[in-house]
Amino acid sequence: MGVTTAPARPRSGRVKKPGRLIAEIICVVVAGMVAFPVYWMVLSAFKPTGQIQAENPRPWTLAPTLEHFERVLSGEGFALFFLNSVIVAVVVVALSLLLSFLSAVALTRFNFKGKTVLLVMVLVAQMVPVEALTIPLFFLMRSVGDVAPAFGTNHLGSLILVHLAFSLPFAIWMLRGFVAAVPQELEEASKIDGASRMRFTWQILFPLVAPGLVAISVLAFIHAWNDFLFAKTFIISNTENQTLPLAILVFFKPEDTDWGAVMAGSTLMTIPVLVFFILVQRRLVSVMGGAVKG
Amino acid sequence: MVTKEIPRTTAPAVPARRSPRRRRDGRAALLYLAPGGILLLAMLVYPIYQLVLISFYDYGQPQAVGNAPLVFLGFQNYVDLLENVQFWEVLAKTLGFTAVCVVGSLALGTGLAVLATRVRAWARVPLFLAALAAWATPAMAGSYVWLFLFDADFGLVNEVLSGLGFTGMANHSWTFDTYSTFGLVAAEVIWCSFPFVMVTMYAGLKGVPEEVIEAAYLDGASTWRTTWSITLPMVRPLLTIATIQSIIWDFKIFTQIYVMTNGGGVAGRNLVLNVFAYQQAFAGQEYGLGAALGVVMTLLLLSITGLYVRSQRRSAGWV
Amino acid sequence: MRTRVLIAGLAAVGLVAGCAPAQNTPAAGGGDEKSGTVRVWLFDEANRAPKEAAVKEAIAEFKAAHSGVEVGVQWIPVEGRADKFSGAFNDPASAPDVAEFGNTDVSSYAATGALADLTGDLSSWKEGADVLPAVLETAKSGGKTYGLPWFTGIRALYYRTDLFAELGLKPPATLAELTETAKTIRARKPELYGISVGGKYTYAMLPFLWAHGGEIAKQDGDKWKSALDSEQAKAGVAAYANLLKADICPPEQCANLTGTQSITAFAGGKAGMAIGGDFNRKAVEAGQAKGKYAIIPIPGTEAGKIAPAFAGGNLLGVFNATKRKSLAVEFTQLLGGAKYQEKMYVAMGNLPTLGSVQQKLAASDPSVKPFVDTLTAGTKFVPATAAWSKIDAQNVLPTAIQQIATGGKDPAAALATASAEMNKAFG
Repeated sequence: MGVTTAPARPRSGRVKKPGRLIAEIICVVVAGMVAFPVYWMVLSAFKPTGQIQAENPRPWTLAPTLEHFERVLSGEGFALFFLNSVIVAVVVVALSLLLSFLSAVALTRFNFKGKTVLLVMVLVAQMVPVEALTIPLFFLMRSVGDVAPAFGTNHLGSLILVHLAFSLPFAIWMLRGFVAAVPQELEEASKIDGASRMRFTWQILFPLVAPGLVAISVLAFIHAWNDFLFAKTFIISNTENQTLPLAILVFFKPEDTDWGAVMAGSTLMTIPVLVFFILVQRRLVSVMGGAVKG
Repeated sequence: MVTKEIPRTTAPAVPARRSPRRRRDGRAALLYLAPGGILLLAMLVYPIYQLVLISFYDYGQPQAVGNAPLVFLGFQNYVDLLENVQFWEVLAKTLGFTAVCVVGSLALGTGLAVLATRVRAWARVPLFLAALAAWATPAMAGSYVWLFLFDADFGLVNEVLSGLGFTGMANHSWTFDTYSTFGLVAAEVIWCSFPFVMVTMYAGLKGVPEEVIEAAYLDGASTWRTTWSITLPMVRPLLTIATIQSIIWDFKIFTQIYVMTNGGGVAGRNLVLNVFAYQQAFAGQEYGLGAALGVVMTLLLLSITGLYVRSQRRSAGWV
Repeated sequence: MRTRVLIAGLAAVGLVAGCAPAQNTPAAGGGDEKSGTVRVWLFDEANRAPKEAAVKEAIAEFKAAHSGVEVGVQWIPVEGRADKFSGAFNDPASAPDVAEFGNTDVSSYAATGALADLTGDLSSWKEGADVLPAVLETAKSGGKTYGLPWFTGIRALYYRTDLFAELGLKPPATLAELTETAKTIRARKPELYGISVGGKYTYAMLPFLWAHGGEIAKQDGDKWKSALDSEQAKAGVAAYANLLKADICPPEQCANLTGTQSITAFAGGKAGMAIGGDFNRKAVEAGQAKGKYAIIPIPGTEAGKIAPAFAGGNLLGVFNATKRKSLAVEFTQLLGGAKYQEKMYVAMGNLPTLGSVQQKLAASDPSVKPFVDTLTAGTKFVPATAAWSKIDAQNVLPTAIQQIATGGKDPAAALATASAEMNKAFG
């Protein structure tokens, strides 16, 4: 860039103080507003049934109860479904990161014919409304199951495959942007230093696109974790392979929904995602701190 | 796989260095692309192909089970669809609704991301935590909570408003008027989608080299000018991706509309395409018609994104 | 480049023209093994323990009577049943032997050919004669019976006894009186709905339609034709839509309410009356109206008559692909017999389908009486054709009601549109 680096200045020193304070207040107020519906969900999980939808709703309750949580947790197989969801989500995230990184590198850094076509195809794949694909996918997974049972219908493998397939297109697209943003000079400089392409890719490029990886892993996790549709469609007879959202589904009876249990179940579903976020954010900070410098 | 480096003395001859590498790229690319490519081919390309096939047949549950013969309909499903006046009405509303949601989440997400780069941790962390909580909430739960908060009789919002003196709002139904309903659902959608934009843009903004901003500052630009003219253009590729992704998701919205409008609103006036497809086709197991709708929706999305990308083409970041 | 596109295009056409969508190839029929595990699908409940206990007893009894036989129960969430059953139809290897399903699903399930015809088994069953004929009708499609009615759900009129006492009102004896009473309640207490009803609450509208002599559709040979454009139908639907007016239950709040939501309003103390099922009693007991309400059958158009109610309910059916046909049928008959229907009532509050059990319960439990009276007075059902699930999914009836209620269309126009759409679906 040819700019003489100015003497080290704390980043925050650049922003005028009162401006920054106003910005901070805005942040906190917005945070409160954004968090309020989540708070309401958790609150409703603790309210007695008669108070959840009643006259004079209050953002507190004087008679908190654990009965909804008890009902949800004592539902058969809750722990098992939880575990299934964790397995599917974690595997999907790990494989998404790996496969999307490889594909993004190939699509960005390598030159070959048909690149644009592939890119466009990848994008189109995301545009199809998923509900329309359930029947063909069901038959496909059934055939896959004939060959490799663990990946066929009624098994977690089928869920892993389908969520991976639906997370990849966006992950590749997103990572492309991050990979493309890493200057070509960096790669050439590392070559001059004697690093092989492989080494460059994994030891230098990978950490540099960490922020993109974070966003992708979060997205893939949420997508796999909250999915109702494919869990309902693929897991038919082996209920031991069901995932968490189905455990909540039981409380939605057409004429008589158990709102307390729904809210309690949803709260329990939300917590692991938040845990995942927090873990991943910490990792981001440490990676960011270690990587990028010129 | 190891590319043997050409000795330093020939460093200036960059073009010469490129050609041998280009020939090798094909193989390397194949290796890198193979795992993802095979998966996508099997899990996406094949079912989409099946989808197109199904759209040309009269295909319901009996046909899927094998209990009834397949009747080839040619383009009949498409004709039925395009002749349906309601389809066009729903399409128009979907386009409008998508536009509002996309613009809303982009504006809110980007604005907050910019803000987040300028504040100290004590303000940034709560914001991120709240956004992540909103993002983590399952779509169904979020929709029901918003519905409860805005309930005509039992909702907190009406309670607070009438308490503040707007007594006319005591039993106001937010989900009766068509546009009020769309507004409410759009608010919920923006609430749960802006975190994605915010996280993405924040990541991009953090990647903007410090020196560039310092330079602009040294040249006398104000913080907002810097943001608008320097920082944002640098993260434009990311913004493009976030926009395209938002367009694709918001166009296909289902759960929020279905839950908050009780399946499409009064006399179906709050339907969006995906819910319309569900009602007209999938719920009644008319998979052929549903497939035709799916194909039409995909083509629509392709055109919309194509138009958007064209308009962005002049800027850097596109291949 | 052009040639490439041309080739690609031809290839695409070839692929499409030469291939057909994936279909399941139906395997050879089932079997009749006398041992092994009988797989049963039952609907899950929010509070499953009582139902599970009753079912476990039945299983124990069944195992005692048949050695070498196990019974495996899978609990299906009601909201997700469509995909589960779809999966069972598309993949018979995943299908159960016995399944519980709603009677509104009978026709569309029967069209897949996956359910076994139980007509013979039911007529030879000694308790079979005791099933209420109207309820048995709901298990039929194309003249064949595809399930054993296990329990039924009936709706009646809930009203607030304290409000009625305060305002000096009597429980309405005719539908016209119901409308008047509702108006009075709201006039004297503007913060309440006269009666809590909903534009999406089709099953509450149907008694009005039927009480006025209207029908949803009539069968002519094996073709169905909509009967919604008749004068009686118009009168009935209009009578219901009149409840969705500002002086009773304003369209702004009520036009889009489902059954559950309208009962929630009543339970929350927002309404003087409501139309609710026997299955809604628990929710009402948990709310503000607790101890202050009573239930009567929905009145007809004349005093002393009861409006025909919609006979909802669940059946137990057997899959054709089962490898244990007679065991499956026997288990169905055991679980659906008088003994376990009574246990299910005690556990879940489900109304039994066997006449003898109903009478016994009506005598011992007064809260059941209005529902049993409604049942005995006569119930009706939706057209028993697979096209009905399509019409239901497309919200044809709720849309008509909502259009009338919001003034978008007058009853004649709204019902004409609805009839046209229904006839299109009937084919």
